[in-house]
Amino acid sequence: MNAPLSPTGRLPRTAQPVYLDDKLRQIEESGRLGYRSKTLPTWCPGCGYFAIVDGLTSALRQLDIPNEDAVVVSGIGCSSRFPFFVNTYGMHTLHGRALPCATGVKTANEALTVVAVGGDGDGFAIGGGHVPHAARRNVDITYLLLDNAIYGLTKGQTSPTSALGFKTPTSPYENADQPLNPLLMLLSYGASWVGQTYAGRPDHLKRMIVEAMQHRGFSYLHILSPCVTFDKTDRTYQNLDLQVRELPASHDPSDKLAAMREALRPDHPALGVFYSEQRHTLGDALDGLVEKAGGSNAAREPAALKQAGKKARRR
Amino acid sequence: MSNTDIQISICGSAGDGTIAAGDILRRVMADIGYRVICFDVYPAEIRGFGKCIARLRITDQQAYSLKAKSDVLVSLNDSHAIAHAGELRECGALIYENTSIVAIAEGGHMSSHVQPGHLPYPVAFRTLSEKATGANRSRNIVALGFIAGLFGLPAEAFKKAIAAKFKSKAAVAASSVAAFDAGYDAGTQRFKLDDVCFGKPTATVIPGATIEMINGNAAVARGALDAGIDNFFGYPITPATTIMEKLASEMPKHGKRLVQTEDEISAIAATVGAGFAGARAATSTSGPGLSLMTEMLGLGIMAEVPAVVFVSQRGGPATGMPTKTEQSDLNIAVHGGHGDAPRIVIAPTNVDGCYRCAGKAFEMAEAYQTPVIVLLDMYLSNRYETVVFPAHPPFEPNMSRKLGKGENGDGYKRFALTEDAISPRAIPGDKGCMHVVTGLEHNELGRPSDQTDMHLAMSRKRHEKLKAALQHPNFTCHKRFGDEGAVDVGLLGWGSTFGECLEAMYKAQAAGIRCAAMKVVMLSPFPAEAVAAFMDDCRQVLVPEGNYQGQFANLVKANLARPLTSLTRPTGAPVRVEDILDEIRRLAALNQQAKAA
Repeated sequence: MNAPLSPTGRLPRTAQPVYLDDKLRQIEESGRLGYRSKTLPTWCPGCGYFAIVDGLTSALRQLDIPNEDAVVVSGIGCSSRFPFFVNTYGMHTLHGRALPCATGVKTANEALTVVAVGGDGDGFAIGGGHVPHAARRNVDITYLLLDNAIYGLTKGQTSPTSALGFKTPTSPYENADQPLNPLLMLLSYGASWVGQTYAGRPDHLKRMIVEAMQHRGFSYLHILSPCVTFDKTDRTYQNLDLQVRELPASHDPSDKLAAMREALRPDHPALGVFYSEQRHTLGDALDGLVEKAGGSNAAREPAALKQAGKKARRR
Repeated sequence: MSNTDIQISICGSAGDGTIAAGDILRRVMADIGYRVICFDVYPAEIRGFGKCIARLRITDQQAYSLKAKSDVLVSLNDSHAIAHAGELRECGALIYENTSIVAIAEGGHMSSHVQPGHLPYPVAFRTLSEKATGANRSRNIVALGFIAGLFGLPAEAFKKAIAAKFKSKAAVAASSVAAFDAGYDAGTQRFKLDDVCFGKPTATVIPGATIEMINGNAAVARGALDAGIDNFFGYPITPATTIMEKLASEMPKHGKRLVQTEDEISAIAATVGAGFAGARAATSTSGPGLSLMTEMLGLGIMAEVPAVVFVSQRGGPATGMPTKTEQSDLNIAVHGGHGDAPRIVIAPTNVDGCYRCAGKAFEMAEAYQTPVIVLLDMYLSNRYETVVFPAHPPFEPNMSRKLGKGENGDGYKRFALTEDAISPRAIPGDKGCMHVVTGLEHNELGRPSDQTDMHLAMSRKRHEKLKAALQHPNFTCHKRFGDEGAVDVGLLGWGSTFGECLEAMYKAQAAGIRCAAMKVVMLSPFPAEAVAAFMDDCRQVLVPEGNYQGQFANLVKANLARPLTSLTRPTGAPVRVEDILDEIRRLAALNQQAKAA
């Protein structure tokens, strides 16, 4: 479940600038684009997000989800360009609104696999009001939160997860605001699956995305990822390599208090599954309302889906 | 002229059962076969002693608004009703408590406010109620019985309605029937002038159709259900909440899904998300919520996603007047948000129109791949009318542009530039058509592009495709009433105010003024050609509306550089027929003077 550490007690630094350009050309020439889209990522060389695209596409392959049945929904930000780089359906929405849009997609068609992707500003500044509600409703989607603790797309301003004292163009003397603790928030919001991984550990990252997507309910995966362009001092590969640790082997993912205790050590972020529980999803609850009202869930089949000759529900 | 045209006002304090009595009365009248229009007035507070008025206009032909003067005024609480004694017409019946419940100051009893020409009917509401039921709580039902007895209305219909109203409380139903009988007997024993006289109802019989007493919000909910709404996401706000409440109880019965979201931003976002996934999805709100939704409406427009937004306007800006009506959100509905963001806005003018617009909005959203706003106001949301519902819903279940042969696959162009600017649309789950919709300007494939040519082409596409909405099948974008050809005064009206426009027009015609009225239902895209043709026929154009700025008049002026007279009444109450009529007279006189000169 949780990745073993290297013998030195440090996680090995594996992320190197990925020349996706060359790689994609090779794949395209071979005629097997798979889950990659033809659009090349717009990120800076060395950005942690390349590994995350890789992680999601290999998770989709491993879980054998047909391209047309997956929808990647994002907000605005560097990380939110994500949908363009995977060959599935996608919604690139407004700043902060990935989760409510994804809730709409999933509510309309439970047969779709819905992945919401966004950054720390998107999810916890402008979109912060939506996170508790997606979590408590237990919408059956996966939320990949790509946290680089900076606003990259607008050239490096302070974000709600930036460290105290961090200097940026909007906090030229220092950041005076206490950073949020997203893991602790999600645990208290009632997210049914909470995990953390690091873009510098691509293998761990892939395993965690697969696990998050396999979870039935709202799964929140916090991905630590450096901004190599605008953050040379704080959340760098070098620093994160030293800071991250594995969750203790004794950690029990059904123990919420233990998960919260682990989350309370943000200086030494732990990688792995913090918390996992099975409970009714929003879809289950809505199906239950239909039954209470004496209606039939089989009747729910959007006209447009009927036309396409598809079943709206698979589960 | 019609045989029956009687307006009854029941005025009391919150807790007197005023609105309940009005509710029973209007249901009975609709059951018997009369046409009914009602609009109740009540305070913003749930408890307390605020003023409640139930107003019903009962006719045998379709009426379009309430009258300024009532034919019958029932006072359940003199301290509130005295202020309204003046709205009772000459020879109207004034029905009030003959004794006071509490000691009152001089002039505090209705008997000292009966005007010359009023027909006073003091009734022992309290004593009759106490004798019949052992309590004075049923004074409102005694009053109903008295009205029925006095005007010779069928008691059985009332008893049926009372039983239906209190069906879960047998004891209350029984005591209410007793109270009704007591009032009815009292009524039959009183002398009645023939002035207030109920003629025979004229029941319209259309095979399979049903006639129902329904308000604007309920009609919207029914239209949405009949059009096959799949998903609804909403956040409570007066006066739109009852749309959501109705759908919350009805949608699950049809296997459909409704979610109460954390705010209006989330509501419209989820609606757009569900629309992207192929559902017929909607949300409802009022002005403050619409302000929050405008950014996401822009995404719906940019990403060409169908979505329906029901908006019931109230007094604004900011929190404004939550329980008072106003037509002041036309600007934000038509223009709200940043960028060149064309959308469809339709504004029904009566309760029947609420039903049709609600259903048609789903067709249009799908056909033109864009958000559609259905613009009501509180006057329309809460106004009851008798509506004839057709046997089969007059809505198409699917109006999506299908993909042609060979259009799917690798090169699928979600935003293909076609002749009519509408692109074939695939939805998640369709094989081989994977694409991303985005709020960024994009090329035909949906990939981000800020090339100048592409922005021009896509802007044109988003605007041009809406023009077809003006010819949407089986939908009335605009309609002319009254005199044909050249007229002295032409009324241009929209939304709930149009009923008052029609009433004023008919009165002006009766007074010998050549007069016509046009209702404009589609506010965006604007039916400029038809409105221009109408204005060309009018020597004077009058635009009455319930806001301060004259937002509709400004919309007309922006589209057509023609002179018009704007009549604005931002009072929080419906625009008065008399005010419109006075203005028509003034404008007609101007014509006369011009002729004489």
